[in-house]
Amino acid sequence: MASEAGETGKAGIIVAPDDAPPLDKLSHAVLDDLLYNIVHDLLVKVHRDEKIARANTAAIKVEKLAKNTSDGATTELKPDIEIETDAAIYKDGRVALKGNPLKSTKEILCSKCHLPRLHHPTDGKGAKKPDPGVIYCKKHPYIDKPGYDIYGQTWVAPGPGRGKKKKDQKLDPGDPSSPAPAEGGAKDRASNVLNFPSATCPKCKRCILVTRLNNHMGSCIGNSGRTASRAAAQKISNGSNGGSQNNDNTPPGSQKGTPRPGSRGASPRKRDGDEFDEDAEESDQPNPKKKKAKLNSLNKKVILKAKASGAAGSSKKDKAKGNSHLNVEQKAGSDAKDSTVQVAPKKQTPKLKGVSPAKKLKLGPAKPPLPSPGSKKGKREHDMESESSETMSSPPPR
Amino acid sequence: MSARPATPASPKNHKVRAPQPGQPMYGCEHLQRLFNQDQATTNTSIQHYRAILRSIFDTNPLIPQTAKAIDGQIVTSLTPTYLCLQCPSTLTEDDRTKHGNKKSHRFYVDSRSGALYCQMCDDIVWDPTFEELRLKKIGTGTFSMRKRKHEELFETSDPVRDNPAYISTNTTTASCKSNGLRGIYNAGATCYQNVVLQSFLHNPILRNFYLSDGHSSSTCNVDYCLSCAIDDMFQDFYSLENTNGYTAASILSAFWYNQKKAFEILVATKEQDAHEFFQFLAEELHERNGDGKRPEIGSEHSCNCIIHQTFYGKLQSTTTCQNCSGVTHQVQSFLDLSLPLENLSHKKGKKSASRGLLTLQECLDEEYIKSDKCEYRCHNCSSMQQARRQTSIKRLPNVLSIQLKRFEYKQGRNERAAKIDTPVQFPLELNMLPYTNRGRSGGGPDAGKENYELARSCTYDLVSVVVHVGEIDTGHYVSYCRVGDQVSTRPTAPDPPSSSISPPDPDDIPISVEPRGQQMGQWFAFNDHRVELAQKSDVLNAKPYLLFYVVRSLS
Repeated sequence: MASEAGETGKAGIIVAPDDAPPLDKLSHAVLDDLLYNIVHDLLVKVHRDEKIARANTAAIKVEKLAKNTSDGATTELKPDIEIETDAAIYKDGRVALKGNPLKSTKEILCSKCHLPRLHHPTDGKGAKKPDPGVIYCKKHPYIDKPGYDIYGQTWVAPGPGRGKKKKDQKLDPGDPSSPAPAEGGAKDRASNVLNFPSATCPKCKRCILVTRLNNHMGSCIGNSGRTASRAAAQKISNGSNGGSQNNDNTPPGSQKGTPRPGSRGASPRKRDGDEFDEDAEESDQPNPKKKKAKLNSLNKKVILKAKASGAAGSSKKDKAKGNSHLNVEQKAGSDAKDSTVQVAPKKQTPKLKGVSPAKKLKLGPAKPPLPSPGSKKGKREHDMESESSETMSSPPPR
Repeated sequence: MSARPATPASPKNHKVRAPQPGQPMYGCEHLQRLFNQDQATTNTSIQHYRAILRSIFDTNPLIPQTAKAIDGQIVTSLTPTYLCLQCPSTLTEDDRTKHGNKKSHRFYVDSRSGALYCQMCDDIVWDPTFEELRLKKIGTGTFSMRKRKHEELFETSDPVRDNPAYISTNTTTASCKSNGLRGIYNAGATCYQNVVLQSFLHNPILRNFYLSDGHSSSTCNVDYCLSCAIDDMFQDFYSLENTNGYTAASILSAFWYNQKKAFEILVATKEQDAHEFFQFLAEELHERNGDGKRPEIGSEHSCNCIIHQTFYGKLQSTTTCQNCSGVTHQVQSFLDLSLPLENLSHKKGKKSASRGLLTLQECLDEEYIKSDKCEYRCHNCSSMQQARRQTSIKRLPNVLSIQLKRFEYKQGRNERAAKIDTPVQFPLELNMLPYTNRGRSGGGPDAGKENYELARSCTYDLVSVVVHVGEIDTGHYVSYCRVGDQVSTRPTAPDPPSSSISPPDPDDIPISVEPRGQQMGQWFAFNDHRVELAQKSDVLNAKPYLLFYVVRSLS
């Protein structure tokens, strides 16, 4: 039967004509009955929910009225009065219905907080504007709207330019509806657009952005030396037969969400928007938090470096980021407070700022050439190459 | 209508449900009149209603579906019939009015749902007294018995504790907004944890355990206790108004601090297997809440901890020696059923055109109905012999977790792990009776009430589905959970369905009238911090990796 619904969404029954053979007539009758039963079951369920809710509403209302009438005189005991509304009678502390609550009662009060229930979602499918003059029960109908969750919330897309790593972007790899990086940024960011929260690491008591929490705990709690060596060993074994495709931690699926460097070059407007957004984010995020995150990545970098000597393909990305953060950190040291405002042009900064050549030895080649239109793979290869020759490469010319 | 005893031997007076605040006392004015006539009328009405419910839910559906028309013609219909509350007649919808006018009988019970129809209201009425009986019948199969068992298990019956005033002063009422529906942020490749945590959060038994302070985190002294972390999570989900995602920092840190060799591999910043995490979580919570013994895989381990009461069942494998026909039994506990897919999909592909499409029941058939050959050392023959081995379920758990082995390590020249993407159809309602040893031990001819009770005790409703999207080495986990509106007056005893009666002949039950217990609740899709509404079709079209079914007589 269900297959009848097909793609059109419409169900159709072939009615057996009067002169049809008996089997046709019988099948038609059986199908008819089955459909009747499905509708019947659905109706009984909906009817039950609705009628009980309305009957309870009638009871709540008349009880409230009785309480108000007796008004504090008998707070504990049930007021010994008789009250009648359109839908119910209150007598001897008992409520009896009057007529059919489906007819006599129009709204539904929450049985817990006694406030009216909102009947329609406020957004998305079937949405209606709620009456602003009414205080509704907090239990709202769930919102069904693409790109938003059941509470009508959406999230600031983690994207480049917001200090997030590519590997953090695995939030909705399978979900094409995950919102693209908002263009307007702060201007039209409504209250239902949420940022990713941060949490405190129980060991080092630092505040870590949630998307990095696992990585952080891995290095903070997870006895990094041991794990690192195991991870390195695994990586080596993977690398030998898996090819270089998945040499880093980033799953291919997660990379989908990342705007490619090429596309970025093609739409400068978007880039502007991103930068703008960056500023906005800075303003509504406390500065120390960012710093902490940076400190953390600094911390991590040290570990990664330690194992990099052992493992050929340890996550360069981390390293690259770690370095670039270090880079910003450096800069922050030099002109302290507005460190992140200039995150975007940071790849130029080492050349401009007075950074010690020792630092640059690594920084130069490892930093990703962001605006280059090269493909991801190309970039990675470039990274790899540069890493292997890292120690030998001469400082880039000033 | 011989199936309906006119007067069950019950001398006690039936009571109308005590008035509750915020609820009318009766379903309608006419029922009020009925109940207020005299005690005898109340008694017979309630007794009749119980008898009708028994005949609807415990007997062959043919009985309540067969009506006798006014002119004496007997009609069995697929559509609902109406059973008169005041006399033992069953009527079709058309004859209902005639019967009412003739006999002045005004109340009828709908044969599909057990709902009460009032002719004077010309509507179905939901009376608190009758509805309580109906829900108990659907939920537990009995009218009162199980509740006591539950109290024995969960509460030391303390008169102070049972006092409603004590409860109201010592518990907090959650806000109307907090309903346990929140996402969990991905802390960096932790979606394998999130899906399992969501399935725990929407597991009715675990929820009741943790929300009734089953593991008190205030008195627990264990550092970084995982059970405390889970307790905190339940409190956060079901008492806070927050709709933003949950940050599972305490669970994650408890996880990182955990030193468990078997699951060491899980403690990594990379993507992991959700099923392994489920096993880890179950073992860890068992150790925190149970007898502290490590559950040994492959042995029979009984424990009263919440995890064992929720997930653990028992398998019995019977080995029959082909030489001397000696039979040996071996019983093991299981946390979940792991069903291989690969062989089956190959086998099926050869046979039928519908290549690659499997059903869950086929997978279960393969493991728990069919027998396989093996070599074993027979005690009688004291030599190695060919034997037939057959495994069936001895004790079903309250929450049945099923893993479909989608990840397999391929042997051979190019050794590699592979993901099997075969779609597996799974039902919303699963009958496990055929896979139990009771279901197998021959069908006796004494079909009757017991069979329906046994079948009901083996009926499971789908509650969570964990889906893996992507490849073997990388991908993403999402999950679906059914939430709310369960037919539950009160959590019943999590004692496993156990009775030893022969199964019903499946041919006895007309499929068309079968799904009489309606599955209620709304499905939600959980994708890390994002929670969205889901349709049943979304759920059923997913390619499941883990399935969680909860036993009907509990949900």
